[in-house]
Amino acid sequence: MGTSIVGLGMTELGRVYGRSPRRLAADAVRLAAADAGLALADLDGLLVSHGLGGSPGIELADTLGLRDLRMLSLVNSFGATAGAMVSYAAMSVLNGSATTVACVFADAPLKPRQSAGSAYDRGARGGTGGAPGKAEWYGFGGMTAALGLRSVNSHYALAAQRHMARYGTTSEQLGAIAVATRKWAAGNPLAQMREPITIEDHQRSRWVSEPLHLLDCCLVSNGAVAVIVTSADRARDLARPPVHLWGWGQGHPGDRKERGSDFGLTTGAAASGAAAMKMAGVTPADVDVCELYDCYTYTVLVTLEDYGFCAKGEGGAFAASGALGPGGSLPTNTGGGQLSAYYMWGMTPLSEAVIQARGDGGERQAPSTDVILVSGNGGILDHHSTLVVSPHEKGA
Amino acid sequence: MDVGVLRRDGRTDPFFDGTAAGRLVVRRCEACDRWFAPDASGCPGCGEEDLGWAEASGAATLVTWTVLPKEPPVFLALVELAEGPWLHARLDGVERADLREGLALRAEFEHPDEGESYVLFRPWTERGSVR
Ligand SMILES: [Zn+2]
Repeated sequence: MGTSIVGLGMTELGRVYGRSPRRLAADAVRLAAADAGLALADLDGLLVSHGLGGSPGIELADTLGLRDLRMLSLVNSFGATAGAMVSYAAMSVLNGSATTVACVFADAPLKPRQSAGSAYDRGARGGTGGAPGKAEWYGFGGMTAALGLRSVNSHYALAAQRHMARYGTTSEQLGAIAVATRKWAAGNPLAQMREPITIEDHQRSRWVSEPLHLLDCCLVSNGAVAVIVTSADRARDLARPPVHLWGWGQGHPGDRKERGSDFGLTTGAAASGAAAMKMAGVTPADVDVCELYDCYTYTVLVTLEDYGFCAKGEGGAFAASGALGPGGSLPTNTGGGQLSAYYMWGMTPLSEAVIQARGDGGERQAPSTDVILVSGNGGILDHHSTLVVSPHEKGA
Repeated sequence: MDVGVLRRDGRTDPFFDGTAAGRLVVRRCEACDRWFAPDASGCPGCGEEDLGWAEASGAATLVTWTVLPKEPPVFLALVELAEGPWLHARLDGVERADLREGLALRAEFEHPDEGESYVLFRPWTERGSVR
């Protein structure tokens, strides 16, 4: 017996205002059920995940009028959650504790008239107070922010810089990832950024936190995405082509800030990818398409290395070879990813994987989608999840 | 980039007492003979949640860095204390050309007119501060 993703629901994504995370999540679950050809009452499991703009809560079940759930929980491993939720849903279906499980992510960090960057600043929130004129900062968190480390961007910049110093990775190589991803976005009507860019555009975009340019950094979006997981047997009778789950894995190196740490060099993707590919019975050579968590261009580069698509330290050259873009040997982030399409944490790569596996990619449809690898990355490279999905039943 | 005014919050007294006296005081688990950053919440070796405080030498090396596009540029870093833990830190007296893995650094202390004293890290050789 296998398991499959049978429904995909996506609300409007981007600068979408006026709906709470709970309302957005409810809308996405309804859309996913309708997509699958299921009634809401057919759901007997609901897993809920949130970003930084508030949680839908498990009260989402009440909002949806679901009264007979046998599984209901918040799940949180940050950007690794989408893959984790789908694997928990699949395991529940396999062991019989639920039959049909919706997994939903919703977030609404953007407020009208607020910059995208400020929605994700750390420390700047709540760290200051008191005296007008001169900022006051409290405690260790306040001190770190006062000294200048106020943004997730800077934490990822520290990681990327370590990779550059150790392996000679260049900003232009990171730029190749931004350019390839934008090429894919041009074919995605849902993408927020579809204008073509060049390496020169990348190099000229302003520094956010060296070595990261603006075009190395993802978007910020409001919205919600849901998927529905059920058995491969049941999936055959539903409305849309099933997307079969072949394997899953996780890796959690944690926040190990001490001598000997691999921070910036190797991530949880190494353990997670190996576990997922082993379960699926595939190797990197079998993978047709990668949908990778791309909060930053650097995240894609280090994930490709850790998954074994190239040797450690050669991710930059691999990206610059043109492998990742349309026409390349390893189509990657075919919908434009988080860099150019929409930022729904781990649901960005997962939603595009479902679209590609179904053959719904339109202009951007990858030539071959027999094996699709999906990644999630959470915290500052602290958490990782991997899924291997396919239009075909495993072993068939 | 102005640092602003630093205030204590009840968990930071030994650290800021240290910076005021020009000493880098961080967390340490005596039972495990392990040092931790001053904001560590516990020792993963033995589970102790109430870690002690101890004075580190102030010697450190550069792990990695980022530069904020300010005027003048702000150099932020992860530094590795000689005792082992990594700290998020701000560098002082450096230029881009100086930056490399393993660059020797030493804690130096700033004593502003208002608010708590704080630590910056500067390049250092056996003969003393480079700049
Ligand atoms: Zn201990």
